[in-house]
Amino acid sequence: MWLLVLFCLMIGLLIGMQVPVFLSVVYAKYMSIAVIAALDAVFGGIRAYMEDNFDTTIFVSGFVVNTLLAAGMAYLGDRLGVQLYLAAVVVFGVRIFQNLGIIRRYLLKKY
Amino acid sequence: MRSKGAQISIAIVCMVLGIMLAIQFKTTESYQANLVPARVEDLTQQVQSVSEERDALVEEVLSLREKLKNVRETDQAMADLQADLQDANMSAGLIAVEGPGVIITVNDNPRELQPGDNPNFSLVHDSDLLMLVNELKTSGAEAISINGERITAKSEIRCAGTLILVNWNRIGPPFVIKAIGNPDMLESGMLIKNGYMESLKVLGIQATIEKAEKITIPAYSGSVKFTFAQPVKYEEKAE
Repeated sequence: MWLLVLFCLMIGLLIGMQVPVFLSVVYAKYMSIAVIAALDAVFGGIRAYMEDNFDTTIFVSGFVVNTLLAAGMAYLGDRLGVQLYLAAVVVFGVRIFQNLGIIRRYLLKKY
Repeated sequence: MRSKGAQISIAIVCMVLGIMLAIQFKTTESYQANLVPARVEDLTQQVQSVSEERDALVEEVLSLREKLKNVRETDQAMADLQADLQDANMSAGLIAVEGPGVIITVNDNPRELQPGDNPNFSLVHDSDLLMLVNELKTSGAEAISINGERITAKSEIRCAGTLILVNWNRIGPPFVIKAIGNPDMLESGMLIKNGYMESLKVLGIQATIEKAEKITIPAYSGSVKFTFAQPVKYEEKAE
């Protein structure tokens, strides 16, 4: 399981490094929010997987929708003149750390 | 629930995440490379190097002019043209000249600015220098320089922010205007009643004039190059 996750992450990183796609500076900010949301979704998925209540539909839809929504909210915030991306950063940051904490506890219990 | 499907979906999502991360890394890296402070530093450096280049070129111009002069001097066939050439060079400002004249010193009003004062009234402007130079020419000045910049037929005197451009060089106060000519004529021309010197003094700007027995005025250090103007042929001029 862990090997699979790391392996796929590595493959993804390699592909991303090779693909000649460059974002303009304007969109880099939204991409960073999207990355945070994606990280949160992945940690949430791993946590659910360890808690044995993993649902593929919820996981995949959560990943896609959260990512797009986070970027969209950041964009909307910029249009409105409110730094809405800070809200996304805080919320996702908190959740990432919570999920990490739960994953750690499971791992400690397991081994 | 630890099905194959779950593992596959996690794997795919992780791959997508990896791609996103990699793209973001790349973008952030290239973004930080041209952050604004770095750009400012870069431009400052460019300005510096270009300025150094310009200074080097100025020296080159002077040395080349010197060489040209040497070549001309050795050529005896040109000897009768030397006097003419000298006059032309002198009026064009291409050789340093010396002689009696006046030295005018102009400086900003030394009074501390009070709240509500318009600082423009206590500064020396490009127009002031222009007027003074004009007055000097009227009074028969044969050669003029401002802070060591020879005034030639093509010289500009123009405001450039807080400084003044003369021959595309920036000069700042105090402005020392040297003029060669009949010292008495020049002095009386400048100190004429209701003249420009007087109106400058009324504004509180320091303006002094003194006669001098021997003034040296440097040559114009830029290059003289005509891109558009062509001399008219003698025959055409004759008609």
